[in-house]
Formats: sequence, structure tokens, C-alpha cells
Amino acid sequence: MSNSIFGWLTIILRRDLLIAFRRSATYITPLIFFLIVVTFFPLALGPQESLLSSLAPGVIWIATLLASLLAVESIFSEDFRDGTLDNFFISLEPSFVLVFAKVLIHWLITGLPIMAASIIAAIVLYLPFDSFLPILLSLILGTSFMSLLGALGAALSLGKSAILSAIIVLPFSIPTLLMGTSVITSSINSQDYFGFLMIMGAMLAIGIPLLCLLTVEALLLNYD
Amino acid sequence: MTRIWKILKQWFIEMGSPPLFYNWSSKIIPWLGITTLVLLSLGIYWGLFVSPIDYKQGDVYRILYIHVPSAILGESIFIFMAICGFINVIWRAKISGMMLKAAAPIGMSFTLLVLVTGSVWGKPTWGTWWVWDARLTSTLILFFIYAALIGLHSTIEDKTKADRAVSILSIVGVAIIPVIKKSVDWWQTLHQPSTFTITSSPSMSPEMYLPLLICLLGFYMFFAFSLTLNLRNEVLDRERSKAWVKQNFNS
Repeated sequence: MSNSIFGWLTIILRRDLLIAFRRSATYITPLIFFLIVVTFFPLALGPQESLLSSLAPGVIWIATLLASLLAVESIFSEDFRDGTLDNFFISLEPSFVLVFAKVLIHWLITGLPIMAASIIAAIVLYLPFDSFLPILLSLILGTSFMSLLGALGAALSLGKSAILSAIIVLPFSIPTLLMGTSVITSSINSQDYFGFLMIMGAMLAIGIPLLCLLTVEALLLNYD
Repeated sequence: MTRIWKILKQWFIEMGSPPLFYNWSSKIIPWLGITTLVLLSLGIYWGLFVSPIDYKQGDVYRILYIHVPSAILGESIFIFMAICGFINVIWRAKISGMMLKAAAPIGMSFTLLVLVTGSVWGKPTWGTWWVWDARLTSTLILFFIYAALIGLHSTIEDKTKADRAVSILSIVGVAIIPVIKKSVDWWQTLHQPSTFTITSSPSMSPEMYLPLLICLLGFYMFFAFSLTLNLRNEVLDRERSKAWVKQNFNS
């Protein structure tokens, strides 16, 4: 049984990764978008080192949330339009796995590039070297949670405007934003940040089963 | 035991069928209206004119009789909506979806009322209209979540599907409620910790506590009243092509 589920998961992963890599825009766009948003802050606020480094945790997280939202709409829309999603649902394989794979793909093409770019952002915003590890840790947990939320938003607003999924997802991403910035800020102030990481991990642990199931439910709305 | 459960379930399903609901709700509306009027006028009169002046804040504190009940309502309506959403997702009970839809604007209005009264109260006591404090910010997020739910509902044309979409989102959204509730304990904030709990004896004097309790009950009754009106409207709107609606309004 587990063998067939993993087989199913790898089939979807391989197919979607192939599609993503054949079209470089899918993983380049969030990355470039992230860097552009980060660049805007020094331009708008002036280049003082103290100001920028104190704002940096917030800047990095706001840019991450926006960049992650940018790719949300594409999670299901293309497969929905060309009928691939219908076939996934007809195929009798557990649809939970489908959603999980889609979330994983979204994370691989947005979360991972953003994590790489966040180090560049941390350097240009004058963050100390010690804070790089907490930034990466908070981003791993936070961007995966954002991908889960984004999948739900995309499923609910399937075939509607992209701005709708942003309206749906953004209020729910606020806890992630708060925890993520707290991790970075407390690491800069050399305080203990594991508590915040644990809360983010707990959110992810609840979110993977709950949000995936609800996303399946939301996708099924289109097939009544 | 299973017999009782079956009877209860049968009763529940019958009460929830639109024509039956329309009939029995028309009988309770006047009662709900009268209780709301009596409780609210008693509670607000008592709170605003009779109850003693606070020794520190003076008369300003009296806004509490609106602020605290609407805060409690804004949160409990969301819990109510999430329960409706849960029932709607699992059992596909049509009426619970409509209930969710009918409750959302009421909850949003109460949340707006908390924010406005809180900011009016904050100006004389804290010296500012708004602080980025955990309790205030999490209440603002609740307001945005209400807006997201209502916005999502309005974009989906098929009403039953819209109900289910909003149900799914309300289940996720209910996670904000414990955060709001605990925000005064988890973070150091300007907002005072709650003085109003059911589980322990009140830390306020009874002359201030009793009118607040009556106001709270009045607000709950007002919610029940306006929810019933909204829901009847919703039921008629959804079922307007059905025979029972036509019969009701032609005769």
C-alpha cells in the first residue's frame, strides 16, 4: 500500500518538476521578485546601516510572503484548465497525496530559491553573520507553511482572480510573519529563538494534515 | 442510547429543512426581539446611568458596556461559524451553510464595533487612538479574516459551493480565536488582562459586573435575533423557485 502511495507521489513530483524546469520563469520569477522588493526598502528609506539592519527581519519576511504568494495561483490553475486535475481525481489514487505533492513542488520552486536569495538580502541589509542560520531555519518552516496556505487559497479561488487568493491567504499568514521576524530579531539580540521555531514547527505539523485535507475538499468543490 | 441519538438526529434534520425552519422561526422572532429589547435597554441604562463611577477613569469607563460584549460576540460568532462550517463540510447540511453566511456580516460588524469603541476608549486613557499591541492587532486580523470570508462568498456564484468554500476557510480561521484570547497573557501588552470570566469570581464590583452581564446576554440575544432574520432572508432567497415559497407568498 505504502509502496503505491510513494510511487504515486514520485510520479506527480517528477512530472511537475519537469514542467517547472522546462519553463525557467516558474522558479526565476519569485526569486527576482523577492530581490526587487528587498531592493526597494533601501531606496525608499535611505541607506543608513543601523536603520536597515534593524528593519531587515521584517523586510525579508514581507518580501518572502509576497514572493511566495506570487506563484500561488499557478499551483492548480494550469492542471485545472487542461483537465489534468480531473484525471488525477478519477484515477482512484488518494487525492491527499496529489495535494501534498503540489505543495512540495510549490515549495521547491518558490521557497527554496527564496531561501538562497535571503542570504544575499541579509548581507546587503547589513545583518550579522550569526543570524544567517536562524534566517534559514525560520524560512524553511515558514515558507513550507506558506505553501500549504497558498495551496488552500489557490484551491478556493480556482478560476477566479489572483487577487482573491491573496486576500484569502494574507490574513492567515500573519502568525508566520510574526514568528519568523521574532526568530531573526531575537537571534540578532542574541536571545533564545528556539521557542519561536518550535511554534512554527507545531504550526507546520498541524498544517500538513489539516490544510492538505481541506485543500482536497476545496478542490472537490469544482467537481460536484 | 442509539435510539435517542436517532430521534435527536431526525429532529435536527427536520428543524433544518428550509420550509420547516421558516415556519418555526416566524414564531420565535417576536420573543427574541422582545428579550433583546428588554435586556439591552435594562443593561445599557443600568450601565450608563446607575452603576458607580470608576475611581480612576471616571465616566469614560462606561464604554466598557458596549466594548466588552461586542468583543466577546465578535469572537464567539466566529466560533459559531466554524462549528457551522464543520457541520457543513462533514454532513453537507444545507442550513448550516446558510447560517454561516448569515452570521458573517453580524460578526464582522461586532468586530468593527470593538475596534472603534476600543480606539475611542484608548484616546482618553492611553492617550492614543491605536497601539500595535497584541490584543488589538489580533482583533484587527480577525476583522480581516471576516472580510476574507465574506469576499470569498461573494465571488462564487453557486451559493451552495460558496457556503462550502467559506466553511473550509472558517475552519482554518478559528485558530485565531485562542490567539486573541491568550494574547494578553502571552505578550506584555498595554491592553489589560480580562477581568470578565465565567470560571472564576469577578474581580469587578457587583454593581459594575451585573449590568455588564446583562448587556452581554442582551448582545447574545441580539445576535440570535438578527441571525434569525438574516437566515430567513437567505432561505427565501435560495428557495425562491420552490413551491413552498410561492405558496406562502401567493396566499
